[in-house]
Amino acid sequence: MSRETKNVIEVKNFVMRFGDKEVIHDLSFAVKRGETFGFLGSNGSGKTTTLRALLGIYEPTAGELLINEQKYDVAGNTKIGYLPEERGLYKKEQVLDVMIYFGQLKGMTRAAASDFSLKYLAKVGLNGYETSRIDKLSGGQQQKVQLGITIMNDPELLILDEPTKGFDPVNQRLLMDIILDLQQRGTTVMMVTHQMDEVEKLCDRVLLLKDGIAKEYGTVASVRKKYGGKHMEDIFIKIYGGIDGENEDETNGHFSLSGLAKSQKRKK
Amino acid sequence: MKKKLFGHNFAVVYRFEVVRTLKKKSFWVTMLAFPILITAVFGIAFYAGNQSDTASANLAKEKFSIGVTDNSNVISGTIIKQTGATKITDKNTGMAKVKAGKLDAYFYYPKNLAKDKVEIYAKNVGIFDNSKYQAVAQSLLQSSALAKTSPEVVAILGSKINFDVQTFQDGKSYNPMMEMIAPGVFLVLFYLIIATFGGQMMNAVVEEKENRVSEMILTTIKARTLIIGKIFAFLTLILIQMLVIVSLVAIAYLLLRNNLNLPSFALSQIPLNPGRIITSFIIFMAALLLYSGLLVAIGAAMPTAKEANQFFAIPMLLIFAPLYVAPMLITSVKTPMISFLTFFPFTAPVPLMLRNAVGNLTAIETIIGFSILTITAIIIFVIAARLFQTGAVEYSKKLSLKNVFKKK
Repeated sequence: MSRETKNVIEVKNFVMRFGDKEVIHDLSFAVKRGETFGFLGSNGSGKTTTLRALLGIYEPTAGELLINEQKYDVAGNTKIGYLPEERGLYKKEQVLDVMIYFGQLKGMTRAAASDFSLKYLAKVGLNGYETSRIDKLSGGQQQKVQLGITIMNDPELLILDEPTKGFDPVNQRLLMDIILDLQQRGTTVMMVTHQMDEVEKLCDRVLLLKDGIAKEYGTVASVRKKYGGKHMEDIFIKIYGGIDGENEDETNGHFSLSGLAKSQKRKK
Repeated sequence: MKKKLFGHNFAVVYRFEVVRTLKKKSFWVTMLAFPILITAVFGIAFYAGNQSDTASANLAKEKFSIGVTDNSNVISGTIIKQTGATKITDKNTGMAKVKAGKLDAYFYYPKNLAKDKVEIYAKNVGIFDNSKYQAVAQSLLQSSALAKTSPEVVAILGSKINFDVQTFQDGKSYNPMMEMIAPGVFLVLFYLIIATFGGQMMNAVVEEKENRVSEMILTTIKARTLIIGKIFAFLTLILIQMLVIVSLVAIAYLLLRNNLNLPSFALSQIPLNPGRIITSFIIFMAALLLYSGLLVAIGAAMPTAKEANQFFAIPMLLIFAPLYVAPMLITSVKTPMISFLTFFPFTAPVPLMLRNAVGNLTAIETIIGFSILTITAIIIFVIAARLFQTGAVEYSKKLSLKNVFKKK
């Protein structure tokens, strides 16, 4: 098997249940080495739950979630960069201390983590902030630190959960540059995003998840072809719009209050 | 990948927690506040004592004119002369002289001192200095009584007789109070640690949730290792604090012992019973692990430090409750209540350590008690790790055990 086609992530018959509620139903997909994979879906469709189960934060109810053919183990050999949806840092600690701490947790030596952190902070315009407390930084500056931590161990697999959520345009651009740079270096990227222009620009393949079920799965080109060459955003709205057939025809995929008004009239 | 004793990344967490705490000013301020407070209290007491002694000495030296009518016949004529007081035959004359400013004070001693009051009439010299009149009137009585009494009777009445009690057990000298000291140190230490650091232990893992760091952390380290790393870091910091405090107190004691008239401790006279000391130590360690786990588990289940702190009273109550029956723990150990308190894991630390210190804990009871503490500590740690793992991404919800085990 060639390097490009070997699967880095394999999810087989994954089922996740919280109490009596099943949120993921028999989900299977794979992410190939070196590709950028868009893991898409509306809010509450089960994307973050899948990522958490993949990374061992949740225990799956059934099925297998493998990274490099093994269940993820914090002490394993795969170098992962994970940017979760819920973000934060140790607010009372100094920037450099926090970066070194995470670097060491990711298997770097103290010296290597320190060296990377200083270079990264200088590159993103945060030189001089090494000894500042995290809570003294602006929101945008904290995001930069968090991005640095995500990529500091030169990850072979980058998992990003809504990476641009809450990011200002400057940091969005920074993130995109980082992803492009890592892509060129052969890093496998799995990203959850609602930005469909990013998907078209960056992703090789996508999976569209709805209510825990895979609705579409394939290359961006094949999915677009299936929907008559529509842009990903239109396809997303088609699948997740929440607009019933009648309204969709009238509004051409856009939400309109007129349908609601009609329903109100009917009720009367 | 080689297996590490405490799990992958234990050393990284341990070092980070210790170093970042040592770098905080609040850690040193809190630590130094205790000996400084103790020194300040002693200093104030010493200063107040000195001031009081000086004031008393000044009062005693102060000369003022006194008139005395003694119907009790207790006051000695010699002592009246020595104080420069004048005898006055009736109360009205004495009162009139005070009112006219011819006398500073007039003391009227009634016939029956046991029944009637000594009456004092005097010139007002202020709220504090007015007390000198009663002191002098009392002094006249005491000096006169002592002059008529033998030194032995004076010593008996003043409870100044010294006793030397020696008790024996198995043919050897045995002082139960002294025997308690060495093993009892662990009980005091346990209280101090939980009372001082319990809140911090409880908040150990809340920080990760409050700061939304837990999800990232859990992709680099197991919840169990993180918790153990934090607990060990805490124990190290506690040890550092104790060493610094004990050193400072010892230095202050040596420097100020003579100035403050502090009692001298002969440490060599404290009996050291190795069996009891070792038993106390292992119970102390197991109890510390149990309560560390319990506090961390409470913290792991709560979304914020504020909510976690509301539950701090529960472990404190469980620790302090057995103290209410402390006399029974010493004398009535065969009762069902004492057995319950000794073997119920969350109340067991104090009864086990106290009973071991006084010497009424049998070997079998020690083994059972220690086993209960250790097994419960392990179970609590597993639950705490599970709570943290499950609760790591429940950023705004309290966790219940039911939910934790339902999600598996």
